[in-house]
Amino acid sequence: MAFLAAPLYADVVAGTGPSDNHVTDQVTIAGEPEYVVSLDGVPIGPTWRSEFLIGADENGRDLMVRVLYGGRTSLLIGAAALALTLLLGVPIALAAGYFGGRTDSLISRLLDVIWSFPALLVGFLLASAVNLSGADIGPVTIEPGSKLIPIVVIGLVYVPYLARPLRGEVRALRERPFVEAARAAGFGPVAVMRSELLPHLLTTTLVLAPLLFANAVVLESALSFLGAGVPAPEPSFGVLIEDGIDNTIFSPHLLLAPCVALVLVVLSLSGLAEGLRRALDPRGPVNVEVVHGQ
Amino acid sequence: MIAFAARRLGWALATAFIASLVAFVLFWSIPNVDPSYWLGGAEKGTNETRAIATEKYGLDDPLPVQYVRLMKSILNGDVECFYNCGNMRSAFLDALPVTLSLVAGATLIAIAAGLGLALLCVRYQGRWQDRVITTVAAAAYSLPSLVLAALLWAFVAYRSDLFPNEGYVPLTADPLGWAQHLVLPWIAAALPFAGAYMHVVRASLLQTAGEDWVRTARAKGLSEKRVIRRHVLRNALIPPVNIWGLDFSHAIGGYALYVEVIFGLPGVGLMTSETFGSLDLPPIVALAIYLAIVVVLASAIVDIITAWLDPRLRRPSLRT
Repeated sequence: MAFLAAPLYADVVAGTGPSDNHVTDQVTIAGEPEYVVSLDGVPIGPTWRSEFLIGADENGRDLMVRVLYGGRTSLLIGAAALALTLLLGVPIALAAGYFGGRTDSLISRLLDVIWSFPALLVGFLLASAVNLSGADIGPVTIEPGSKLIPIVVIGLVYVPYLARPLRGEVRALRERPFVEAARAAGFGPVAVMRSELLPHLLTTTLVLAPLLFANAVVLESALSFLGAGVPAPEPSFGVLIEDGIDNTIFSPHLLLAPCVALVLVVLSLSGLAEGLRRALDPRGPVNVEVVHGQ
Repeated sequence: MIAFAARRLGWALATAFIASLVAFVLFWSIPNVDPSYWLGGAEKGTNETRAIATEKYGLDDPLPVQYVRLMKSILNGDVECFYNCGNMRSAFLDALPVTLSLVAGATLIAIAAGLGLALLCVRYQGRWQDRVITTVAAAAYSLPSLVLAALLWAFVAYRSDLFPNEGYVPLTADPLGWAQHLVLPWIAAALPFAGAYMHVVRASLLQTAGEDWVRTARAKGLSEKRVIRRHVLRNALIPPVNIWGLDFSHAIGGYALYVEVIFGLPGVGLMTSETFGSLDLPPIVALAIYLAIVVVLASAIVDIITAWLDPRLRRPSLRT
């Protein structure tokens, strides 16, 4: 499976910034000069050449450049959110599964509460709250409108989707002889978790990670679409889709381009997940629970 | 069964309570909100407006007192807004049927399509029909509802006269108009889920079909139809039913939000996005809590129904 997302990082190739206006510029098409935005305000459609490859938007901004930069923002947020989910979810699952008893029931109940609410609703409420007033969490200060907001929110929301399956696995592993042997050999809990349990979680984590990544990108688009994610002038898939809907009468390309890009990213990520699953764990089931965390 | 239902509802109440606490802390008592903001929207006011706002909303009272007062007004529906917002509770209850129509319809369509396709796959197992359906289903669940809804609205609803661009007609007033308003949103919401359900049901069917007691049923000389219907299907549907239940309760605060915004359906999703856009804090808290209550109740009801269908789920521990 080709990783279609990769070229999105190479957007240094773009000759113009994502917010640069070319309202009054002209391009030459088939020898005839043509305005980027026509005099009655309709932006140019696809030109199929290096400038304005798939057209411009109503401010004369190059759509391909905006889609590329938007993809970078969306993927960056998705990747950072995934990193946060992994950082929180794996230790939580290890602690809950290994210690059992009260620690386990406390953590599991907490995860259940988050899990019982839809990811989009939790994300939307959290992001709106922080966007309203900013947040001061210890040394970290988050300004309203910061890109950290969607990252933190999305990262937190998906913790249960990773921690729940991992916790079940840890509980099963804990009873196995090699873990008992490690304990008998005098390893402390942290050492057992790190050297005995963690390597066994690698398969599940590797298979879940691209699916969570895809979900994070989709959730980011939905949040940005609803105005609770990336703030508007900066492009992201959600922002571009909203722009496209607003301008669909004269410029359908504005909606089609980000939609196609988003679908390609999601398809390549789920393809990656499927490939990893086949390679690592051919008999395992498709993990549908995660697919639904939107 | 009754004991299970009582326990499940108790857990639902506890969850709703936790959610209300979180909403209160997030939206009401985060310290760096300027009280004058509470009266005049985003503009920072003078000391005078600050004092008026502090008194009007009782911001000097201890937090638990504020919490109880706020929750009371939210449950009665008479939340004080900065702008004119009428009775939040009745507005929410008016919007709820729209969302429930959208979500229930989409869930039913996704289940029917997923189940039908899975049965086809099993009948033609290993042949080209099976492979085509499996591939199409995998593609379907990679399509985000957001993209589907946006494209369907822009290229079908907006460009043809068959479907309205926005609005809603109640089912009781005009069933045909109701369906006409909802067909495209249903498709946008149901397609990814149909693909996912197809995979779950297919896997479950194949696993069940390999069980010993299915072979026994065949050996008894039962017809193939009867074996599939009475023995395979009934047992194979247990895992998917749980997923359907979870998805249904999640849909209310999930895709309903943006599908309603795109198709202009006046449900709770559109209401949420409008209220949050207004930066009017008290109704925002109210709406967050109403949504939490609906989601929690829906998932409790769904759990009770699935437990009624499958007694094995009535274990003392609610979730493993």
